Amino acid sequence: MEEKSKKESFQSSPHIKEVFDFLPFGICILNQSGIITDANKTFLKVSEYQANEVLGRPFSMFFLNPKEIEKILHQIVETKSFLFRELILISKNKKEILTRTFFSLKSNTEGKVEGYIVGVEDITQLKELVGRLEEEIERKTLALEQKIKELEEAKEKEVILRIRERAKSRDIEVKVEELEKVKSALMNILEDIEEERKKTEEEKNKTLAIITNLNDGILMFDKEGKISLVNPQIEKFFQIKSEELIGKTISDLAQISQFKPIVELVGDELKQIFREEVEIREDLILEITTIPMMKIGEKIGTLMILHDITREKAIERMKSEFVSISAHQLRTPLSAIKWTLRMFLDGDLGELTKEQREYLEKTYQSNERMIRLVNDLLNVARIEEGRYIYKLVLADLIPICQSLIDLYKDEIEKNNLTLEFKTQDNLPKVKVDVEKISLAIQNLLENAIRYNLPGGQIEIELKKREKTIEFSIRDTGIGIPKDQQNRVFTKFFRAPNATKVDTEGSGLGLFITKNIIEAHGGKIWFESEEGKGTCFYFTLPAES
Amino acid sequence: MPKRILLVEDEEIIVDLLEKKLVKEGYEVLVARDGKEALEKMQAMDPKPDLVLLDIIMPKMGGFEVMEEMKKNKTLQKIPVIVISNSGQPVELDKAKKLGAKDWLIKTEFDPQEVLEKVKKQIG
Repeated sequence: MEEKSKKESFQSSPHIKEVFDFLPFGICILNQSGIITDANKTFLKVSEYQANEVLGRPFSMFFLNPKEIEKILHQIVETKSFLFRELILISKNKKEILTRTFFSLKSNTEGKVEGYIVGVEDITQLKELVGRLEEEIERKTLALEQKIKELEEAKEKEVILRIRERAKSRDIEVKVEELEKVKSALMNILEDIEEERKKTEEEKNKTLAIITNLNDGILMFDKEGKISLVNPQIEKFFQIKSEELIGKTISDLAQISQFKPIVELVGDELKQIFREEVEIREDLILEITTIPMMKIGEKIGTLMILHDITREKAIERMKSEFVSISAHQLRTPLSAIKWTLRMFLDGDLGELTKEQREYLEKTYQSNERMIRLVNDLLNVARIEEGRYIYKLVLADLIPICQSLIDLYKDEIEKNNLTLEFKTQDNLPKVKVDVEKISLAIQNLLENAIRYNLPGGQIEIELKKREKTIEFSIRDTGIGIPKDQQNRVFTKFFRAPNATKVDTEGSGLGLFITKNIIEAHGGKIWFESEEGKGTCFYFTLPAES
Repeated sequence: MPKRILLVEDEEIIVDLLEKKLVKEGYEVLVARDGKEALEKMQAMDPKPDLVLLDIIMPKMGGFEVMEEMKKNKTLQKIPVIVISNSGQPVELDKAKKLGAKDWLIKTEFDPQEVLEKVKKQIG
């Protein structure tokens, strides 16, 4: 039967069997019942069966699911179609072999279905390969995905990093900018400091140059009272080297005989003094001033300034002698005339006729004017000498004014003038050189009398004004022409209208008065209208 | 016994006028023409003068020196001194006061009558 089927199968073309055997996939010819009638070598190889174990047996029995095969065969008969299925072949050695099996109807030449042609392709390897490939692909995909993920992450990180870096760099830029600003500010400060330093250095050099070249002697005592600076003038004054003085205290100086008078003056505590005179030797008179050196409220030392007044003193003495001699020389003949005339007029030198008396009286008055002029000149000389105000005492201005008014009472009456003196109660006292302040008021009163109009008035007033006492004297006299007013206090000045009234004035009175008032720390001024009168004012500091 | 006044003055006319005025008032007046003569007379005089009228600027010895010498002498230092001068600066006035002068009269500011009154005030 086997032979027969063989003949039946491949007899038509013996070559076809060879071709079949040569095919890379298994071929089985089945009869209408699904029995294998022929199988090629490839099928036998795949199924690991011998030909005799295959032929005559149902094709379905070689597969894992025989029923499925039967169903397929039945199906293709019905549909007359061609069909592929992946099916598991069970080999002789019970190996499960995945196959791609295709089913086709086998028809005879008349077109009658006489069985089936089944192709069995072992796709285990292919499947494995595909599986491996798929795995590989899977793996690669995973790896790729991983890589992508990583890359994405990396990219992300990089982006973040970049962003951060950018932010950072922006921060840095801002910071750098800030730093640049700070740097520039610091540079400016440094420049300023440098400039300040230079200035300070320059100032220091200047100060040092001043101290070195100063005509005054300078001794600087530090916080501990030790001498820290000695200028060359000190060396010159005391004929001593600065090294011998540096580091010494004021008490140490008491050991040097020349310094003794200074030490006695300032004491061990270096007390503050202002322009105190000290005679060191016959040829050296010094004026000592000590000033505490302060730094933010703290005493950091004492500066002693020694001003040489030897020459000033000599000049002062000479001036004084000059004034004294001048006074003597000028006054001696005047006093001789005054006394002689006075004794004649008093009848001490015999009786006079009326005419003689009149002449002598006039001569006496002329002499008196001359005496006043000399007095004025001597006063001016002393003002210019610089030490005119001599003795300051606490005084009340009311009695001073009153006694002057009394002194001029006769003259006021003679000129048909009226005088009013107004004062306030509790008027504070003033610190004045009484003789000088009397002279100042006397000059003003004399002017008010001399330059008044017949029947005129004089009003003197003393009142307190803020921290001063204000004196005023108002007259109803000739006044001072406006264009002459700025010259009123000038030495030897006399207004033309005043000269017409009285040819005798020296032009010194108001100059002397102004100097006296100002030497007392006061102020003097006036208001005047020509033909109507003048009011002179002065103030003096009131003593509380 | 009239009161004795030593008038120390170098200006002739002043001496004459003042002497006349004082004598007329009953004073005994002795005159010295300079400081040196004044001191000699003071020492020689017995009794000592009751008052010295003393000029300041004089030949040989000035008024201040006279007062300084008088101050050194126990007897002479008791004699009151009135200065009659043509000068009168505050320093001089102070100096005179320190040396014991009772008064200072500037000749142009006083006349003989006023001098007499000052003398009277001092010694009666």
